Amino acid sequence: MLQCIFLLSDSGEVLLEKQLTGHRVDRAICDWFWDQILTQGESLKLVPVIASPTHYLFQVVREGITFLACTQVEMPPLMAIEFLCRVADVLSNYLDGLNEDVIKDNFVIVYELLDEMIDNGFPLTTEPNILREMIAPPNIVSKVLSVVTGSTSNVSNTLPGATASCVPWRKTDLKHATNEVYVDLVEEMDATINSFVLPGFSVFLSLFLHYSGQLCSGSPVCIDGHPKQLANVFYLYSLSCSDLSPLLILLLLRDGNLVKCEIYGEVEVNSNLSGLPDLTLSFANPLIFNDVRFHPCVRLRPWEANQILSFVPPDGQFTLMSYRVKKLKSTPIYVKPQFTSDSGTCRVSVLVGIRNDPGKSIDNIAVQFKLPPCVKSSDLSSNYGSVNVLADKTCSWTIGRMPKDKAPSMSGTLVLESGMDRLHVFPTFKVGFRIMGVALSGLKIDKLDLKNPLSRPHKGFRALTKGGEFEVRS
Amino acid sequence: MLTQFGATAESLSKASTMMFRIGTDAHLYDDPDDVSIAPLLDSKFESEKCEALKRLLALIAQGFDISNYFPQVVKNVATQSLEVKKLVYLYLLHYAEKRPNEALLSINYFQKDLGDPNPLVRAWALRTMAGIRLHAIASLVLVAVGKCARDPSVYVRKCAAIALPKLHDLRLEEHTAAIEEIFVEDMTMPHELITTEYMKSMIAYRLDYNLAFDNLHIFWRIYLSSSESQHIVGMLLKDNSPGVVGAAASAFASICPNNFSLIGRNYKRLCEILPDVEEWGQIVLIGILLRYAIAKHGLVRESLMLSFEDLEIQSQEKDDPESSHLTCTSPLLWSYNSAVVLAAAGVHWIMAPKEDIRKIVKPLIFLLRSSGSSKYVVLCNIQVFAKAMPSLFSPYYEDFFISSSDSYRTKTLKLEILSTIATKTSISSIFLEFQDHVRDPDRRFAADTVAAIGLCAQKLPDVSNTCLEALLYLALSESSNNAVALMGEEEILLVQVVKSIMAIIKQDPHSHERVIVHLVRSLDSMSAPAARAMVIWMLGEYCNIGVLTSKMIPTIFKYLAHRFHSESVETKLQIVNACVKVLLRAKVEDISELRLAISYVLELAKYDLNYDVRDRARVLKNFLSHCKGFNYLEEADYRTEFNDLTYVFAEYIFGGTKKVPSESFSYRFYLPGSLSQIVLHAAPGYEPLPEPCSFADDETGHSPTNVHNDHESNEIDDSDDISGSLDEENTSDYSSESVSGEGGDSYIASDSGEDEEAGTLIHLSDDAPDSGDHDRVSVKNTSSGLMDAGELMSKRALESWLNENSDSGQNSSNLSQVQRSLARISIKDIGQLVKPKSYTLLDPTNGNGLSVIYRFSSEVSKVSKELACIHVSFSNHSEEPMCNIFLAEEKPNPSPDSSEKSGSPSESVLVSHDKEATLIPMEEIDRLNPGQPADRVLQVRFEHHLLPLKLVLSCDGRKQQVKLRPDIGYFIKPLPMDIESFLKKESQLPGMFENIRRCTFSEHLNQQNDKDEPPQKDIFLMICEKLALKMLSNANLHLVSVDMPVAANLDDLSGISLRLSGEILNNSVPCLVTLTLKGTCAEPLEVSVKINCEETVFGLNLLNRIVNFLAEPPR
Repeated sequence: MLQCIFLLSDSGEVLLEKQLTGHRVDRAICDWFWDQILTQGESLKLVPVIASPTHYLFQVVREGITFLACTQVEMPPLMAIEFLCRVADVLSNYLDGLNEDVIKDNFVIVYELLDEMIDNGFPLTTEPNILREMIAPPNIVSKVLSVVTGSTSNVSNTLPGATASCVPWRKTDLKHATNEVYVDLVEEMDATINSFVLPGFSVFLSLFLHYSGQLCSGSPVCIDGHPKQLANVFYLYSLSCSDLSPLLILLLLRDGNLVKCEIYGEVEVNSNLSGLPDLTLSFANPLIFNDVRFHPCVRLRPWEANQILSFVPPDGQFTLMSYRVKKLKSTPIYVKPQFTSDSGTCRVSVLVGIRNDPGKSIDNIAVQFKLPPCVKSSDLSSNYGSVNVLADKTCSWTIGRMPKDKAPSMSGTLVLESGMDRLHVFPTFKVGFRIMGVALSGLKIDKLDLKNPLSRPHKGFRALTKGGEFEVRS
Repeated sequence: MLTQFGATAESLSKASTMMFRIGTDAHLYDDPDDVSIAPLLDSKFESEKCEALKRLLALIAQGFDISNYFPQVVKNVATQSLEVKKLVYLYLLHYAEKRPNEALLSINYFQKDLGDPNPLVRAWALRTMAGIRLHAIASLVLVAVGKCARDPSVYVRKCAAIALPKLHDLRLEEHTAAIEEIFVEDMTMPHELITTEYMKSMIAYRLDYNLAFDNLHIFWRIYLSSSESQHIVGMLLKDNSPGVVGAAASAFASICPNNFSLIGRNYKRLCEILPDVEEWGQIVLIGILLRYAIAKHGLVRESLMLSFEDLEIQSQEKDDPESSHLTCTSPLLWSYNSAVVLAAAGVHWIMAPKEDIRKIVKPLIFLLRSSGSSKYVVLCNIQVFAKAMPSLFSPYYEDFFISSSDSYRTKTLKLEILSTIATKTSISSIFLEFQDHVRDPDRRFAADTVAAIGLCAQKLPDVSNTCLEALLYLALSESSNNAVALMGEEEILLVQVVKSIMAIIKQDPHSHERVIVHLVRSLDSMSAPAARAMVIWMLGEYCNIGVLTSKMIPTIFKYLAHRFHSESVETKLQIVNACVKVLLRAKVEDISELRLAISYVLELAKYDLNYDVRDRARVLKNFLSHCKGFNYLEEADYRTEFNDLTYVFAEYIFGGTKKVPSESFSYRFYLPGSLSQIVLHAAPGYEPLPEPCSFADDETGHSPTNVHNDHESNEIDDSDDISGSLDEENTSDYSSESVSGEGGDSYIASDSGEDEEAGTLIHLSDDAPDSGDHDRVSVKNTSSGLMDAGELMSKRALESWLNENSDSGQNSSNLSQVQRSLARISIKDIGQLVKPKSYTLLDPTNGNGLSVIYRFSSEVSKVSKELACIHVSFSNHSEEPMCNIFLAEEKPNPSPDSSEKSGSPSESVLVSHDKEATLIPMEEIDRLNPGQPADRVLQVRFEHHLLPLKLVLSCDGRKQQVKLRPDIGYFIKPLPMDIESFLKKESQLPGMFENIRRCTFSEHLNQQNDKDEPPQKDIFLMICEKLALKMLSNANLHLVSVDMPVAANLDDLSGISLRLSGEILNNSVPCLVTLTLKGTCAEPLEVSVKINCEETVFGLNLLNRIVNFLAEPPR
């Protein structure tokens, strides 16, 4: 079980420590940890489980704050990580985001929360709704009050009733003036797109594909690339494959092939219902789900039987389920990067446009990529939106809403390090976008029923698709 | 507030942040002690107390020790305000242990609060009271817990369940203290081992032997309270509320994880309630139910584990219990909590029949989308699953495609998984994916991708041609890039490409002649020395596989001769090697053409700047003078020379027909989802799964003898499994030899007991089906070594030629000379100079004139390869002779069940679960006269404990405790290997297995100054020797090579590198150490120490040790 939790700022300062068991952990472990980060670089921040000479460390980094937990004995590492994530969620929910100052400002609340959330290294109360009842979140009223009267308590005097009920995630006697429940489908599109196939390397692969029996011999083999490089390919090819008959070579469509495209979605529910409502939510096309994951309130039997979600909702905002829909056929937008190298400089041009009009406007479009390390300087401009190159060679191009009349494009030149003739490593473009009102997975909610309605509640449905891990490889 | 404002708000911006932070506790955190806290604590206003406590909390947060406020804070425990109470509790929990006497003052208030009508108050009081850890009130707390366990409020019952482990922990401390008083008990013993059974046996033991009774009541108390708390756990497990059951499960897991009868009573109900238990409880409960089900019913016949373990046990009643357990965990695969999903997946993995395991795949893969941190852990587990059963994951290869936002370790894990699960159908898509990564800006990752391509090609011979083409293209384009590109980073990729090509070609050299030709042709543009060296190696190795190559060879050698002077050392050595290989294999008619070029090369090498090259050239030239065709003799003479032994050796060393020992990959892995599985060593408290069917309830029909037999056969099974997998030939040979030779001597017994301990892990290996011989018991008892004796013998012989200064005759020592020169520095010299450091075990003032000094020796124990040898020197400084000097381990006394069987030592060992460092006792010294020294050898199994080992030194009947400090440098033994296999091994251990630290080495400075070194002595050599000596005297390593830059300035030492190798004693995992120097002779050198070792933690510890001793001043 966990022995201690430390919160570290992004400069390695220990913001606070909470000892959980009788086996104290000395702060020195944080110095050790930070030394490791300094010597081994930032990449260590991404390693969640570290074995130090004295303790096993688990870390979760959220918005610059490192949550570090220590143990000396065997325990499921995911339990620790998941718990730290939960702590981070609860804190950022309480404090409206996380940063060094906000934690220092509210350290008492952080202590009180940690004390409720974990006891003797074992998670005690992690349900946000109950925590909110036990410890009041800081808000403007309490702040003002504390200035006027000196101090107010943020610790509740009574135990939340939910801890005793069979639905521990819900307050027992809720009264809402307006009974309403909203269901949001929030989807993120993860896609990997190859916009360019390396010449040569792929020649052999496509040859292999063709000659391994998928196509009969003599049919066209596709090669893509610049004329100069093609010549190189031919040379090599003639060297290596002299026993094959001459082949027709076509240029592969540059449009890019979809390596993978899938939707990761969440059903978010905001429920403001009185009493103990029992809801059922059904989908028109539940078979499209590839994977699902549910909030503890969902009863699993009805889902197993009929793919129906039956649940008693917690109060307020929560994620009812998350799902994945795989193997989508197309993306709403395209991004076409192109690099042309010539004697020490490289011309870049990136085109963005709508491929399959989703029917709603696409906004918040942003393209981001990291210039390869061999680039000395860059000069990039766009005909729409703004381009920014940061000190760490990250280039971000913010487009915003897709213009109606023209296709946004960015172009410019990169100057390579001396001695380099052409660019041979290519960056990956990360693309962000947002489409309101559409769930690109095609998921449709059939109906939402309320079993024991006190009064007819107001129901609302919305959908939203964002770019998730949307990557275009150049 | 206002003063506060005025004082801090110096600038406008500061003022605005103050405005923003108004009403929060910011000022308390920033300046917690700007007002005096003590008067505030005594204030009669709650708000002032509250502020004072907040200030104290801020000080705690910032790491100050403020325990001096304790008395004042304790007084406030009587408060009515819940907030103040909470703050006081937070403070108390932090400091109570430091101030036990004052903390006792608060007990009355807790007692009062426990009767409070508000459940929150009761719960808090209980939590705090159990948490303050005072031995004096342990019994009070137990009563309180018992009372709260029957509380009407669920929350209070839950807190009672969580309070039990606190109490248990406290008690452990207490009774280890108590035990230490009476018995000699080792503190390092994990607390988990001290179970009730253990306590009972202790008590029984004490009764049996009529030892001092005065402390017995302590035992009874401990025993009683422990049984009481187990009783409470049992009660809470039966609780109606799922929330309580979850907490009770966690209490069960930490108090009495092996008390299966407690679970047996509730098994069915626990299964039913499992989906409703809260998530954290689920994780623990799943594990408990799994252990119980295995101990009770064994594995299901069709399960995966069985097919690997080849256990004889089958479940008799596979109808309900397991399946009910399984069905209750399968909905948990949809849980929101990734830890729950993984735990449920682990149960399926171990228990489910093979066809049902598929269920876990999708949920596991879905976890990869949850959060960055859990992704890594999940992937580690998937990797293990995939290695054991690639077909599970192979349809889902797309989900392991790499996203640019992954961390480097995640990426390499994904690559590894992809190359594991690649099949004929998926390989083409996987390759398309790989091809994108080759162009990734992170060249390290690109090189890893190339390595993965190589692995896939080796695994699927069908695609090896395609891969080869692709890699060849890459090599050619990369080498042309390299000609102009920056050096350093870029090299990695090219080297890896050539390495992969080499690995593929090795499988079937004859069909890849063309590739070799291409590579050789591109030599001109290839600038990375490592890549060049490999190409030349291939050239030499495969010089006669086809027409093309043999035609090319003369030209190439001309080219190489021309370029020779500008090559790096590594390449030069390979060129010289290639010369010999080519000559050995060339046809007679070609030789005349080759001769000129080759003798020119050898001549150049003979006068090279680098003495390694010079040495090698000399040896090889000498070699070749006996070889066919190279000398200027007539053909007739050459026939007589043909049988010359030298030629045979040359053929033996350079002949390419050697069977490359196929590396048997063996994966030893831990329970899925455990911490040990991620850190790759058994974390303290890790418990392997119980023996199948080891727990027989009264109700079941298992006859005890039956169970016992199963038990035994398993254990032997496992022990052999482990040792076999670790080091196929050696250990099995050892054990069989020793068993037959010494007839179950006690050494062996303890040894196999140890094996057994390690063997109960889940263990899988790639070649499991044939190695998992179900008849192993009999095989072991008869001489199993005979089977592979032939192979073994040949291997031994080769090893002895290569590595030992054997006494088998002139010729072999000749050969060892060759090997030495390959190693580039004379190890013989060094070997004599090595002086391991001595430590004092007992100095004469404390030991009544007996002084004991010990030093770690580099010998390898003859009894078991896991033992470290320690030379102990005794000397008597007193006036009188001493008698019966003996050094033994502090041993917990044997438990009754093992003493019953003491008649047959091998049996008793099988059941003893002794985890501690064990000691093979030394010979007793009967008599030691004044001034007389005596030496003995101790053999100790340290495991990897770095804690001092407590020993008892008895002398003249007096016993004295002494502490033996382990030295991690001797937890390894030298692993002789040559530079090629070193580099190969090193390349197999990249990424997380590699650790680097820097330190400064200044020993050579003093040496230079105070000693008049003969000026002709090479200063480089001297420093290398110093460094090597330092390394070898502090750690039991084998010096593989010492490399120097060719074109080095006179006193610039940068670039010198030493390579050392060793293997960890108890698991034979190789451990590679590379030292690289930087700096000049006149200054302290900067040494960067790199360790490549699969056991990351061990590697790190060793690294720290090396850095420490390198930096420490000379003795």
